[in-house]
Amino acid sequence: MPAPSSTTTPIVSLEHVTLRYEHGVTALDDVSVSIAEGERICVLGPNGSGKSTLASVVCGLLAPDEGAVQLVGHEVFGERGIDFEAYRQARRQLGLVFQNPDDQIVTSVVEEDVAFGPENLGVPSEQIGPRVERELHRVALDRYAKADPSRLSGGQKQRVAIAGALAMEPRVLVLDEPGALLDVRGRRGIMHVMDKLQAAGTTIVHVTHFMEEALAADRVLVLSKGRLVLQGTPREVFAHGDELSALGLEEPFTARLSEALRDRGVCVPWTIDEGELAEAIASLATHASKADAARITESRAAAPNQDAPAVLADGLCYSYGATDGREERHPALDHVSFAIPARSTAAIVGQTGSGKSTLLRLLCALEGPDAGRLVVSGIETSNRRQRRLLHGRVGYVMQHPERQLFAETVWEDVAYGPGNMHLDAAEVERRCREALALVGLTGREQSSPFHLSGGLQRLCALAGILAMEPTILVLDEPTAGLDPHGRAQLRQILDRISDHGVTVVQVTHSMDDAALADQVIVLNEGTLLMQGAPYEVFAPTTEQALRDSGLGLPEALSWALRLAAQGMHVGTPLTLETLADALQAACEGGAHGL
Amino acid sequence: MAFRISLGRYVPANSALHRLDPRTKLICGLALMVSVFFIRTPLQLAFGWVVALALVALSKVPAGKVLASLRPVIVVLLALSVFNLLLVNTGEVLVALGPLHITSDGLWAAVNYSLRLVVAVVAATLILLTTTPTQLTDAFDALLSPLSRVGLPGHEIAMVFSLMLRFIPTIADEASAIVDAQTARGGALAEGTLIGRVRAIVPVIVALLASSLRHANGLSRALDARCYEGGTARSHWHPLQLHARDGVAVAFTCVYVAVLLVLGSL
Repeated sequence: MPAPSSTTTPIVSLEHVTLRYEHGVTALDDVSVSIAEGERICVLGPNGSGKSTLASVVCGLLAPDEGAVQLVGHEVFGERGIDFEAYRQARRQLGLVFQNPDDQIVTSVVEEDVAFGPENLGVPSEQIGPRVERELHRVALDRYAKADPSRLSGGQKQRVAIAGALAMEPRVLVLDEPGALLDVRGRRGIMHVMDKLQAAGTTIVHVTHFMEEALAADRVLVLSKGRLVLQGTPREVFAHGDELSALGLEEPFTARLSEALRDRGVCVPWTIDEGELAEAIASLATHASKADAARITESRAAAPNQDAPAVLADGLCYSYGATDGREERHPALDHVSFAIPARSTAAIVGQTGSGKSTLLRLLCALEGPDAGRLVVSGIETSNRRQRRLLHGRVGYVMQHPERQLFAETVWEDVAYGPGNMHLDAAEVERRCREALALVGLTGREQSSPFHLSGGLQRLCALAGILAMEPTILVLDEPTAGLDPHGRAQLRQILDRISDHGVTVVQVTHSMDDAALADQVIVLNEGTLLMQGAPYEVFAPTTEQALRDSGLGLPEALSWALRLAAQGMHVGTPLTLETLADALQAACEGGAHGL
Repeated sequence: MAFRISLGRYVPANSALHRLDPRTKLICGLALMVSVFFIRTPLQLAFGWVVALALVALSKVPAGKVLASLRPVIVVLLALSVFNLLLVNTGEVLVALGPLHITSDGLWAAVNYSLRLVVAVVAATLILLTTTPTQLTDAFDALLSPLSRVGLPGHEIAMVFSLMLRFIPTIADEASAIVDAQTARGGALAEGTLIGRVRAIVPVIVALLASSLRHANGLSRALDARCYEGGTARSHWHPLQLHARDGVAVAFTCVYVAVLLVLGSL
């Protein structure tokens, strides 16, 4: 692969860089990268591929073991080893934003935090104010200058962190998975800021797990096991679909759709450009739309369920006490009613502050309702004693469940839950073994959970809950922060659990995930906005209501609506597969019509 | 179970207390807190309370926020009262129940010790509520700078203090999430026998420690990335500057202490 032809000296240059961690892990293996001023680079790779390490090297926080590194004109690492003074100088012109916004904010007033970096650089007092103002404006947080960051949403916090980095006027801004912990709206906000920065000529190095985000980059680097395995324009890189999926990555939706169509014999070009694909499809099917015979609508005949529902909420209300010194706020849940049939799957969607997390806490019987009824698995949750019965019957997988790990070995951690249930030792052992097998952690029983990779830690925590053999499994954004492979793996495990007859309720940011559930519950500001089967909730008629509450549609449906706007009706598919089927039918219909 | 700690969170407002130089605020506040221990008579106590309430009014901080910060110490104050009530044996015996004697001195001590401490806690709370962590750090930094001259890390101590304030709510949120998770796994933290509860706390503490270490790692990465290198080369957005109002505050504090001492000798 040719390096990008650039006549100017690169702003960042890594030559044959190798970096090993203490426990013998080679995080970077002979990586050579050269980045030109003003370039927007996107770094992709599965968990553990060395992406974060690369980000740390590029922003001058980690020195390699071998190779040569040149950052913003400073030879920081070379044959003579580490040049600390050069590193210090280079770092002053390099900015970093990483995953967890909480860890990056050092004070409790937004504008003070943005000023922290410039203060460290010794910027004269009178210049700091204008910088703070300018950067807060750039990330659209002017109104929040005096706010307490801990009261902001994740996306807003992350924008504070970006403003804080930008106020230092870095020549290169490194963003290490800035959207990993954010919802769709938060991620969109970050992408928007990046577009602006790119236009302003800032060099950007963006590490991400979201393939869609790579499309806006000038150049994409793909890392695997510490090696740079692919690089080129997004189009060039995503053309290697098979290689990417072998690495546990996936292509952007457009690329997957064009591939699915080509697999079905529909003659469209392979592309990652939405407009190009839409045009190609439209030109193939101009005549098909009238026939409309090919309309495929996602509808699953719900099997009549005779059992008592797993969850029954009737006029459910809950509010956090206003006596704790916080401002008075509207109730977290306000007269919410719904039922989730036993052995089905349900997705709860809603943006930050919609009451999702509160609803989960109530479902898990961690709290009782203020008013209204909530019956879980036949048990009223208004009574504390009754609620206790549910701990164990309802499995609760909190957000970032790996944070609940505590024991010395995987086995002990998984056995904690069943151990609390007064089962005999043989039964505990059987459950642990089955749970570990279910998540694919057999053989790792004696490892320390803290030594597992992030993805495996999450599976270990999940096993700890499955070992209690819950009849209802409640998950709070189980795929947040995982790479595509991890996400797919988790979805598979949840499918298997669901097949075992467990009711699975999950809060999710992903409308595509929600579309796969039997039932979707949409919350907005503590009230129930909608509920029903995915095809009822995600429909052309509900689009506006969903957008108004900060949500969107599944990718496939957005596509279908876009095509419909161009006069091509393919119904309301919710998944890539049904969309591709519908398009195939439409295009063949069109071919016949010719 | 949710830990909703609002301890010492800065409340933005534009009051005389907010505008005061943080160094002045710290020194006057400290004087106020120490002076509390000279309160012995009801007159002094009343005076201390009047001044404390006046300060709350002056700060424009909602009284609810001040009360919320007081809540955690109420248990301690009550315990203190009970001890005083039962253990002080001088003075006139008011009630005698077997070996227990409640005396007039004990009763006064029970009232006075708790109520005067409230004055001190209010003073401390007001400093935290009206001063941003950055200002606090700067003030500590300035006041601890004599330490730096003898080689002690004055600035760093100030920074650590400020970061601690910043992370209290984060860690508290995390603690409540972990308690939730372990409770759902049958670890009975909030009920059951004492031994059961103690056993149940281990999975929470260990997980929370691991979590705090993760934060520490992240934070150190952030501090490096933002070129934090200690206090030497830093500039300040709002450099500390003493104004006439700071002189007024110091004068008021001196007058207050003097009046308090005079009241005590009446």
